[in-house]
Amino acid sequence: MIEVAGLKKHFRVHRRPPGLAAAVRSLWHRQYDTVKAVDDISFTIARGERVGFLGPNGAGKTTTMKVLSGLLHPSAGEVTVAGHRPAARSPAFLEQITLVMGQKQQLMWDLPPSETYALNRAVFGVEPAAARQTLAELTELLGLAGLTDKPTRQLSLGERMKCELAAALLHRPTTLFLDEPTIGLDVAMQVTIRDFIRDYNQRHDATVLLTSHYMDDVVALCPRVIVIDGGRLIHDGDLRALVKTMIPDKLVSFTGAVAPEEVARLGEVIKAEGGRTTVRVPEARLREVVGHLLDRAGADLAVEDPPLEDVMRKLFKDKRAGP
Amino acid sequence: MTRALRAMPTLVRIGLTEALAYRAEMLVWLLTTTMPLVMLGLWTSVADEAPFRAWATRDFVAYYLVALIVRNLTSNWVAWQMSEEIRTGAVAGRLLRPVHPFAGYLGTHLGAVPLRAVAVAPVMLVVLWSSARAVLVTDPAHLGLVALALVGAWALTFAVFLCLGALAFFLDKSLGIVDVYFGVFAIMSGYLIPLPLLPAWLRATAAWLPFRAMLGDPVAIAIGRVPDAGQAARLVAQQWAWATALLLVAAWMWRRGVRRYEAFGG
Amino acid sequence: MASAAVARGRRGGRVRYYLRLAAVQLRASTVTGLQYRADFLVQGLMSLYWLGWNLLPLLVLYDERATVAGWSFGAALVVMANFVIIRGVLEGAVNPSLGALVEQIRSGAFDYTLLRPADAQFLVSTARFAPWRIVDVLGGVGLLVYAFVRLGQHPSVGQVAAGVGLLVAGLVVMYALWIMIVAMAFWVVKMDNLIYLLGSVFDAARWPASVFRGAWRVVFTFVVPLALMTTYPAQAMLGTLTGGAALACLAGALGLAAVSRLVWRLALRSYTSASS
Repeated sequence: MIEVAGLKKHFRVHRRPPGLAAAVRSLWHRQYDTVKAVDDISFTIARGERVGFLGPNGAGKTTTMKVLSGLLHPSAGEVTVAGHRPAARSPAFLEQITLVMGQKQQLMWDLPPSETYALNRAVFGVEPAAARQTLAELTELLGLAGLTDKPTRQLSLGERMKCELAAALLHRPTTLFLDEPTIGLDVAMQVTIRDFIRDYNQRHDATVLLTSHYMDDVVALCPRVIVIDGGRLIHDGDLRALVKTMIPDKLVSFTGAVAPEEVARLGEVIKAEGGRTTVRVPEARLREVVGHLLDRAGADLAVEDPPLEDVMRKLFKDKRAGP
Repeated sequence: MTRALRAMPTLVRIGLTEALAYRAEMLVWLLTTTMPLVMLGLWTSVADEAPFRAWATRDFVAYYLVALIVRNLTSNWVAWQMSEEIRTGAVAGRLLRPVHPFAGYLGTHLGAVPLRAVAVAPVMLVVLWSSARAVLVTDPAHLGLVALALVGAWALTFAVFLCLGALAFFLDKSLGIVDVYFGVFAIMSGYLIPLPLLPAWLRATAAWLPFRAMLGDPVAIAIGRVPDAGQAARLVAQQWAWATALLLVAAWMWRRGVRRYEAFGG
Repeated sequence: MASAAVARGRRGGRVRYYLRLAAVQLRASTVTGLQYRADFLVQGLMSLYWLGWNLLPLLVLYDERATVAGWSFGAALVVMANFVIIRGVLEGAVNPSLGALVEQIRSGAFDYTLLRPADAQFLVSTARFAPWRIVDVLGGVGLLVYAFVRLGQHPSVGQVAAGVGLLVAGLVVMYALWIMIVAMAFWVVKMDNLIYLLGSVFDAARWPASVFRGAWRVVFTFVVPLALMTTYPAQAMLGTLTGGAALACLAGALGLAAVSRLVWRLALRSYTSASS
């Protein structure tokens, strides 16, 4: 469905030096820098996959998304999405995809979302009956009832995002590019959006490529992750495998009175509050530690993977330090 | 006050740097003041047939070109800047600084003046090269008054735009008022048509308003339409009085506006 | 395939498709406008204000002279009326959209326009209307009627048709210039002032083109063809324009429209290969 081979996107930017003297000098001498936003990336995503796209700020995630949706021409490399070359932006291609950017909106600010829906229906040439059916489904799944007839400016951030999603999906695209769709939303709303995305993916066998700063989104939605940093691909594969290779530890938490020196022997203490203690335990010693604790602490025992944030931090640090 | 004065060189320098960074935009802005040139084209065609009420071709050339220079030297965009900052809430940043916000605006727009001077220099060369040179004043008294009138016109224009900008505290669509203002200004300042050519009732109205001091009076002094130096000095004194009064009005509006802003949160 | 289940309704040809799009967008603008109903009154007052403002130099001038460059007061009023009409259409149907585009490019929301499977120039040009500007157009028509009453003339059906046809050509010229300027927004981000620039030059179109001489005539013929926009339509209405000039006028308008389309496509290509 999505095939990317050797994708590069380089920008030439004018450097504006600080200071008055330098500003005067730049009247005659303009200096340019080449920014390698994306530098030789290849991957393939199959129909119906949900893939998380991770990387620090400025890693090239948004640039890649824009190339995939046809907004940017690649500097080099081959890109195919749903059988089309995105940069041509043919109607047949645009009807298959959608791009949702959490930071930018397509809803008309002074009008109710229903007007944007009417526009998109006309633009995408969706039959009224089909549009009604899709909208009814979206209304139910997203809980849009009562929202779509209020001017957009009167909606809260979360309500607006739900309406944005509906506007982006009215033409039933089969490929979804979601760039920070949950940014700025509270936890409950994040969960709603997340559940909706999974549901849409399963109902329509849609391909989803998602970026998010909230690792919970990625953990909950994406069995596979692609990680880029500095425009280069540094990991592509199973999320659990990534976690396991990067941090081969588990977090064991328990309640109950266990003597501090005994806890210290079990593993590194991460957190100890409200009578609940969390320790980091190497995978190899997990069986031993859990067995030990089951005798002492009782049944209230939990074993978790370390948070994805830690994994990412370690991943990026390693790559920077290495060659 | 002393703090504002101490900060002023830095503020002006930053203003100049900004103006340099946005020089292309600014040049286009200056080019949009085409109205004097269009009117010049019109009136010279008319005056070439026969002088129009004692105004010959070279009088119109001198009038409109000098008006173009005065307008571009003394104009600023502080009303748009303030309106934008008030609308978006960015004005809060100015309120947190320990100098009066007007000092900040003053720095930005004073900093742009050197660039404006460079931009109008070619127009000045055209004036000196054309037949209009003959009507320009040359005696030291008048030249001194022209300089004072230019400074006064800058200050008066700045004060007027501060007032218009502060309107954004009270009105949602204050920039619409700026459009209306421009219509009144263009007629009452002599920007559209030289004041002596207006119908009598408009001329009488204009005499009581500050707009002529922003443009028409300095131009009239520069092109020798006010031969009596004493009369010219009175006009400049009036101009400075208007500038002081409107600056006080702007400061009062700003204080009221900020109080309102704090109460309603913009 | 799930999307195949949704029948695509793009039938009935491109023209109907685009007419429907325009109708949807016009409706949206009207709904927006209705939220601010007081604007209608304000707009009406402003139209009167600017009408008077525009007439002032004309009154001053013709108070002394019977004709200027061969144009009587009544004939000059016809040009002025055409100017008011064209500017009303421009500010009602073209300016708001293209102003919005500049804003969209800056905020990045323009990306969404590019992701819609319809011609981007069409979507952009119809994105926003200012319906209240119809007041200006009506004021211009009123002025036109008054001018002819004053002239004591009665234009023939043919003259009116030719005049209206050339007015439309004038609008096409203006729109083409606008598109070319807006296209620059893809290269240089801050372009609002260029729109002002064109608007301020266009202000000269309130005068008969033949009034201007020398350098003015060069600028107003080749850079901004003012005569094309208001003077030729006025001459057609007054019955003083030759058929050849009228045809040249139409050809010029079409040529400029084609050039502007080309410039737009080039600009769009550069946007999609350079923006971030």
